[in-house]
Amino acid sequence: MKAIICLFAGWIIPGLGHLLQRKFWRALIFFVAIYAMTAMGIAMGGKIYPIYMAKPQTVLQVITNLFKKENPLTLLAFFADMGNLLVYALCRILSLGQGALERATFEFGTAYIAGAGLLNYLIALDAYDIAEGKKK
Amino acid sequence: MIFKSHFFSMIIYAFFVSVVLALLRRDDRKTQLKYGISLFLVMVGGALAFGWFMYFFGR
Repeated sequence: MKAIICLFAGWIIPGLGHLLQRKFWRALIFFVAIYAMTAMGIAMGGKIYPIYMAKPQTVLQVITNLFKKENPLTLLAFFADMGNLLVYALCRILSLGQGALERATFEFGTAYIAGAGLLNYLIALDAYDIAEGKKK
Repeated sequence: MIFKSHFFSMIIYAFFVSVVLALLRRDDRKTQLKYGISLFLVMVGGALAFGWFMYFFGR
């Protein structure tokens, strides 16, 4: 149970899963690295890709909506962005990370945000492994 | 500078990714440092090498 809590805590806030296990330095470094990457990505005009929600009526429509995007590959970007759950939720609420296509740094900003999300999946899984005793 | 130069953006990106992966994949401090530095150099060197390689496909 503790391992699952650490996994989800680490997913919501980078490093929290390690902090719960008293790995203070690792937690701090993960927290700073992931949030610095995300903040820089947003400042560069990167985009956080939302999931397509066009009033689905059935479960099948919910599934097919996942692939109804201007570019189906943005579904992968959505899953990458979801790795940083709290930031993703805040950006959706506060309308941040809309993406400034006219800026030269748009692509890099998007890569920063997606990269931070993907790294946070690994960090959360690492916290799970430590709690399970598979890693020290 | 980072907001204007793709090169510095790439350096900073490689730095953060190296730090996180070194902490995740190695346990003691010495090997973490070694792994982190080598990862950083591979990413930056690889990007530069690939950038030069694309010269052959320029129009």
